[in-house]
Amino acid sequence: MKHIFRPFGRVDRTTLAIMIVGQIILALLFWHLTSNGLIPKPLQVGKALGALLFSRLLWDNIIISVLLTVKAMAIAVIITLFFSYLSVLPFFHTIARFLVKCRYLTLTGFIFIFTLLTQNGGQLKLSLLIFGIVPFFVTSFLAVIISTERQQYELCKTLGYTNWETLYEVVIVGKADQVFEIVRQNFAISWLMITLVEGYSMGEGGIGTLLIKYNKYNDLTNVISIQIVIFLLGLLFDYLLGTLKVWFLPYSKFESQPL
Amino acid sequence: MEYTKTDVLLKVKDVNLFYGTKQILRDINFEIKDIVRPGMKQGQVVSLIGRSGIGKTQLFRILAGLGKPSSGTVTISKDKPVKAGDMGVVFQNYYLFEWRTVYTSLELAAKKNPALKGKEKEAIYKYAEDFNLTEHLKRYPKELSGGQRQRASIIQQMLNGTDFLLLDEPFSGLDILVLDRVVELLLDVSLSDELKTLIIVSHDIGTSVAISDTVYVLGHEEGKPGATIKKEIDLCARDLAWKKNIRTEKAFIDTLQEIKAEL
Repeated sequence: MKHIFRPFGRVDRTTLAIMIVGQIILALLFWHLTSNGLIPKPLQVGKALGALLFSRLLWDNIIISVLLTVKAMAIAVIITLFFSYLSVLPFFHTIARFLVKCRYLTLTGFIFIFTLLTQNGGQLKLSLLIFGIVPFFVTSFLAVIISTERQQYELCKTLGYTNWETLYEVVIVGKADQVFEIVRQNFAISWLMITLVEGYSMGEGGIGTLLIKYNKYNDLTNVISIQIVIFLLGLLFDYLLGTLKVWFLPYSKFESQPL
Repeated sequence: MEYTKTDVLLKVKDVNLFYGTKQILRDINFEIKDIVRPGMKQGQVVSLIGRSGIGKTQLFRILAGLGKPSSGTVTISKDKPVKAGDMGVVFQNYYLFEWRTVYTSLELAAKKNPALKGKEKEAIYKYAEDFNLTEHLKRYPKELSGGQRQRASIIQQMLNGTDFLLLDEPFSGLDILVLDRVVELLLDVSLSDELKTLIIVSHDIGTSVAISDTVYVLGHEEGKPGATIKKEIDLCARDLAWKKNIRTEKAFIDTLQEIKAEL
């Protein structure tokens, strides 16, 4: 136990579990003691969360949001890989760099343009989400490509590979684990955006819509309950993507452990 | 010991290398000839020795076709300019495709060798057995020890089918037992084919000289910029090549002193 307060101290699994449970209890206690009449207490939120979890309303909206996020992520990954893989060609390099700089654009300014370009609310949300995610994906993946060790390319050359074969081996096959990692890390961004874009077109529902509705009526108990659900779903996807990565690409388990 | 040196296998002519205005390599000239010994397949083992930071790695990259000199040429097989892929290269950290198992890495190399077409698997298993790697074929590079990685790296380049094998600091960081095994391994490789030529770039004088037939000493000449070949030592002529337990002979120790004096 004394290791938990020692710099670079290592703790075993049991100690870690006890420590985490202790931290959660402390946080709940702090929350309970500091919440006043406006901020609901943990027990109230717990009850609301229980009720939500047994309601069809929550699960219907979760399915809508998850499907939208997964669809947007899949399309964003395809766009990202297309431009990132081809960024080793000078013609596409400038386009990829431009996409990276698009991080600085805000979604709000493009809502009207996207509304004109799309045919319904579903398409609007999907396109906004993709537009929001792609620059972050491309930024992360270009960083991976740029940091590729020169010896990886040189090994291919010494084995007589052409430039296209080298691209396939080193960037496409060799970075497959990084694609998983980038999706995993950037999933948080898209999950964050989902609540934002669902607010632009509320007709189709979604967990973001639900959150906005509860927020509108200052129903903080349910707002916090949904936030907890969003948080837990994020953790679940993080775990699933990490597991899928090791399952599909067993060598990735030898890399350093993710934070 | 009876031997002759016949055809030129590799020729380095007037190689100079500049980084900006700074000269790294100056007038590098040497030839590697086919050594013929009656009744046996005797390959060549040539060492390029020099101090750390003198430009060995730059020369290594030029010889491998991975870098271009500012002037001069490196030719193989009757004046054909060397290009990447003409020489097998074993990098200092025994680089392998970390995302592939040892077997698939070797398979990729074997598929690039037309002479092994249809016999890739057979060749991989033969080399793996010779190099004591069979039980590690399904493993990933991260699961291998340094010595196993080195052997896998050497097999990968040998499967590629080139006569030349360039090794960058192959003795660096090895403990004494592994070092002995590596030396044996390299000698076995050199005896695998008449034209097999190992070029070892190293600052480990003792080990390099012990397994080589020719040594080139890379160093600076007083008052002149850039590193150049200061001395060529024909170990065959000194009767110091192809001998086991050579390290205790006086002529060997004298040769080491001679090389050290040039560095």
